[in-house]
Amino acid sequence: MGSSKKHKEKGRDKDAEERHREHKKHRHKEEKRKRSRSKERSGRGSEREGRSKGERSAGEPRVKKEKVEAGYQESPGKCRQISWLKQLHTYIIRTSHKLRAKLGLKPLEMTDTTKELGTKEQPMVAETINPVYIKQQNEMREKLAAMKEKRLLNKKLGKVKTLAEGDWLDDTVAWVERSRKMAKEKELAEKRAKLLQEMDEEFGVSNLVDEEFGQTKKAAYSSRDLKGLTVQHRMESFNEGETVILTLQDQGVLEEEGDVLVNVGLVDKEKAEKNVELKKKKPDYKAYEEDESVDDMATFKPRTVLGKYDEEIDGEKKKSFQLSKGGCAEGERERELQAIRETLRNQAQSLEMPALAIASEYYTPQEMVGFKKTKQRVRKIRKKALPDELQLDDTRNTDFGSRVRGRGRRQLDEGQEVSKEGVIIPGLDVPQQSDDIRMADMDIKDFIPTELAVLEEDEAEQDLQKQLEKQRKLKQKQLEKQRKLKQKQLLQDSGEKVDDEDNKNNLNIVFNATSEFCRTLGDIPTYGLSGNREDQEDIMDFEQEAARDGAGGSDSDEDENVGWSIVNVDEEQKQPDFSTASTTILDEEPIVSSGLAAALALCKNKGLLDTQMQKISRVRAPTGALPNDNYSIEDKMTIDDKYSRREEYRGFTQDFKEKDAYKPDVKIEYVDESGRKLTPKEAFRQLSHRFHGKGSGKMKTERRMKKLEEEALLKKMSSSDTPLGTVALLQEKQKSQKTPYIVLSGSGKSMNA
Amino acid sequence: MFTVSSYCTAVSTNSPRLSLRIRMIEVVCNDRLGKKVRVKCNSEDTIGDLKKLIAAQTGTRWDKIVLKKWYTIFKDHVSLGDYEIHDGQNLELYYQ
Repeated sequence: MGSSKKHKEKGRDKDAEERHREHKKHRHKEEKRKRSRSKERSGRGSEREGRSKGERSAGEPRVKKEKVEAGYQESPGKCRQISWLKQLHTYIIRTSHKLRAKLGLKPLEMTDTTKELGTKEQPMVAETINPVYIKQQNEMREKLAAMKEKRLLNKKLGKVKTLAEGDWLDDTVAWVERSRKMAKEKELAEKRAKLLQEMDEEFGVSNLVDEEFGQTKKAAYSSRDLKGLTVQHRMESFNEGETVILTLQDQGVLEEEGDVLVNVGLVDKEKAEKNVELKKKKPDYKAYEEDESVDDMATFKPRTVLGKYDEEIDGEKKKSFQLSKGGCAEGERERELQAIRETLRNQAQSLEMPALAIASEYYTPQEMVGFKKTKQRVRKIRKKALPDELQLDDTRNTDFGSRVRGRGRRQLDEGQEVSKEGVIIPGLDVPQQSDDIRMADMDIKDFIPTELAVLEEDEAEQDLQKQLEKQRKLKQKQLEKQRKLKQKQLLQDSGEKVDDEDNKNNLNIVFNATSEFCRTLGDIPTYGLSGNREDQEDIMDFEQEAARDGAGGSDSDEDENVGWSIVNVDEEQKQPDFSTASTTILDEEPIVSSGLAAALALCKNKGLLDTQMQKISRVRAPTGALPNDNYSIEDKMTIDDKYSRREEYRGFTQDFKEKDAYKPDVKIEYVDESGRKLTPKEAFRQLSHRFHGKGSGKMKTERRMKKLEEEALLKKMSSSDTPLGTVALLQEKQKSQKTPYIVLSGSGKSMNA
Repeated sequence: MFTVSSYCTAVSTNSPRLSLRIRMIEVVCNDRLGKKVRVKCNSEDTIGDLKKLIAAQTGTRWDKIVLKKWYTIFKDHVSLGDYEIHDGQNLELYYQ
């Protein structure tokens, strides 16, 4: 404590202030507090009282105040401190009340002031809880309660006087008087009754009175009283004509429900039936069959869960019927229900749909009746084109790229110029087509959509071609005549006679398969030299024709061969020109007529030759080295050895020609006993072991085994995981925890904050 | 003097059933980071109310406050009396 009062006061003030500042919440309110404190300081006496009274309940503040006041007398400094604290406390209480009001909470309970007495700064000894004392108190309470009850009982029973209480024994006079009184009262009562009876008789009410009082005993129990009783059997169990005695069913005493009649025998029978049913051990639960169904009466029966237990839980449902008036029971209601059920069942629509079946791919005979077959309309366009086509085919089918026509269209055009009467139709770009396209262009009628189409077509085509040839020949003759006339005209100018050879100089473009083929084949210098080419046409320019005519004229007396040769030469000369014009070969083709080399070069360019170097099989001489006349190395031993020479083959060895293309892919794989493929080293080791008949020693084999095991382990090791499988473990843990992370250490609670 | 004695008796009768009545208690909340508040409240107040009172004093939002004692988190709907939080008890103040 302080030495001087003043010091103490100051200290106290400071303490109080410090305590104030402890509460950080009060910082913003410190000024307020200071002000209030000053206020308090000034108006301590009265204000304090008023305030304290207002806040606390009656007892405590007064207590506190008085205490404080008591303390005040003792040591003013201390009491001031206490009062300070108290004021602070009250202030705090007040503010908290305000706050609580704002938050919507009840104000602070101020009943308990024991805590107020002892704050942390000034702890006070709390009362001890005395269990013995508490027990005593409880016992007292019980005793009191018991006594109270006794009192009440006695009060109740006390009204009744016991025999032992007879005070009349002592007092005979009183007894006499009492007995007399009793007798008198009896007489009076009799009199009164008589009077009443007379009165009743007067009014004629006596009968009624008698009835009322007498009738209750005479009430007879007849069949009409059976109305409303229930019989707990099914209606069907009673047969007509039989008498069944029904007794009242046992019921609990407290049950107020109506009486239930049963027949004992029937009850036993029903029980026995039920037992038999149970014994049959029917499967009691089929989960997939418990459907929501519709009852007989078209009432909806919902799907029940574990329906077999309903009886156990809800109790057995007993079928019963009620007796109507007079104790009769008719089955009318049942019959009505049955009728209703029937009607509903008939009305019901089954939800079953017709069974699903695979749709038939073909029309049924019934459907075919109404099925009209549409006639296949033949395209009329084709018919129109026929005459033209024939003419076209004429040229197309026969002239398959003959040299007359040449390779290019240019000749065609040129030919066209010459023979205007020719059959060259603008649509002659068709002739260039290959066989396939021609076939496609053919009449659709000829095209039979069966598998034999191809063969038939060929035959048809052949027939067609034959026909067309005939027609062509006819046409040709006509054209020849025309051309001859024209030529005659022309030649009349030049004054040369018409050659028969001009027959050959037809400007018709005639195709046939062979000439087309030859065209594609390329130039064969011998083609046509033998004179077996009937359909040779030549496509000549007018100048060329003239030149030929000129040449032909000079050699007119020569044979056809000469003419052929000349023609050939010209043609051959022409071929390169044509080729350069039409084909895409950039470099100049060698002229075949210049020699074999040129011909070969041409063939090579065309790709007709197989330029692969052929393996020429070499003849192997028996001796390894080249035979040399002057010098030879001879090993006499090898020559003279009879037995070695037996195996020799001195003949001509050559590879099989037919097996030239045979290049086998030889791969010899060696495996050890476990099936592993062996390296060459290991394979050789294996071989040598077998050869020598002994394997490796102990150490070696052990090393080998170890190495094999290590290899196996290496193979088993997973590439994506550590050897301990930590990734897999991590994933499993995550799955079980259902979190994307795992807590590595520490308990789970520490992470919950 | 008589008042004092009566006061004592009043206390004595009540002492065996201390928990039944509603008391005003002062609870200390400390968050070990500098915030230590003493809050007066009733024992029947819920933790939520207490949090609101704390919030009024500390300045944080009351729904951000978590009161704990070791690992026991006090739930908002339970009263202080039910948690047996007595006068002068220290509660740990955390934030969420």
